[in-house]
Amino acid sequence: LDLEANRALLVAALGRIPAGDRTALQTVYRLTSAKLFGVVLRILGERSEAEDVLQDVYLTVWRKAGDFDAARASPMTWLIAIARNRAIDRLRAGRIASRMEPIDAAAEIADGAASAESALASGEASARLAGCLGTLAGHEQTALRGAFFDGNTYEELAQRMSVPLGTMKSWIRRAMIKLKACLESNEP
Amino acid sequence: VSDAIDHSGRLPEDELLAAEYALGVLGGAEREAAAHRVTREPAFAAMVAAWDERLAPWAGEIAEVAPPPQLWDRIATALPPPQPARASLWDSLAFWRVFALASALAAACLAVVIYLGAARPGAPLVAAIEGGGQRSFVATVDVRRGTIAVVPAAFTGDATRVPELWLIPPGGKPLPVGLLNGDKPVVIAIPAALVAQAAGGATLAVSLEPPGGSPTGAPTGPVIGAGKLTAL
Repeated sequence: LDLEANRALLVAALGRIPAGDRTALQTVYRLTSAKLFGVVLRILGERSEAEDVLQDVYLTVWRKAGDFDAARASPMTWLIAIARNRAIDRLRAGRIASRMEPIDAAAEIADGAASAESALASGEASARLAGCLGTLAGHEQTALRGAFFDGNTYEELAQRMSVPLGTMKSWIRRAMIKLKACLESNEP
Repeated sequence: VSDAIDHSGRLPEDELLAAEYALGVLGGAEREAAAHRVTREPAFAAMVAAWDERLAPWAGEIAEVAPPPQLWDRIATALPPPQPARASLWDSLAFWRVFALASALAAACLAVVIYLGAARPGAPLVAAIEGGGQRSFVATVDVRRGTIAVVPAAFTGDATRVPELWLIPPGGKPLPVGLLNGDKPVVIAIPAALVAQAAGGATLAVSLEPPGGSPTGAPTGPVIGAGKLTAL
């Protein structure tokens, strides 16, 4: 499987970085930069900011590769978490605006349902997550999507969906509790 | 109030905070506090990592976008310079580690010998800089010449910070001495006033600072070790 081969390559390359091997970082970059650029660009919405953040992401990988433990985490998960955190930190620094256009719960469910199908094609973990997201109420899915894909805060989501802040916190916390329970009951 | 946060769920507060941090929904001080806990608390970091693992497959929905070709060059340029090849014995870290160990041993033996008599005025001062169970550097002050020689022992640096040496007079504030090198010994000339402080029972300490040294004149980074100067 390509996915497995990629994973092995990534794990090996990450393992060589702490010794100062630049070609290992280049291998990681070659295998992952298009995905991570997509993730960062989706959150920031602006190319030049996204390029700055992507550079920062790989410099972080260079410094922190020694913390990556292949026995505990998937390399792609580790890299995506770094990319999302760096992009969100940049958003919070306030130089560029978060996505704030109002979102309508009903419209977003259709979108989510369509992408659940495409997720089925891209691996078991994606299918499992899509299945569990599908069990959530429409407004819960919409709120989680705004947080994950647009990097919105509680306050921003409350504003976009026109609900009080306390309601938004309650929606998201309940949704995360249900999501965890569902994923754990469907473990392979 | 129906809008209140539901605490009847089965997840403890820390687990919910980890979920909120991984999802990215926290802002401002709350996000900073959670990020700080990730670096300090392994149990909390593990909860965040578990949530990252649960949510990451969602990124499969995001289309790949090739970054501009010159971005890799920007990254490569921003990496710290590669370690220069070590050629001579003077530049050999392994040699200096053995030397540092040997000189520390010799210093200990000498100290025992000298304990029986009185230390000569103008005798060299030595300090083993230790912390966290490791001896990172060994320093020798040449009182006559006004120099301090610092040899790396078990020091492992990181890519972003440099070791800086401080002299702390008894009851006083740390005084900056100079930047050290984790790969080879350095000799730093120190002013007479600092030599006098060193001879008066001072302590040496090493902290990790931004490249170029502490911007404030006082240690800003973690102190990785310290040791008292004693006369040979």
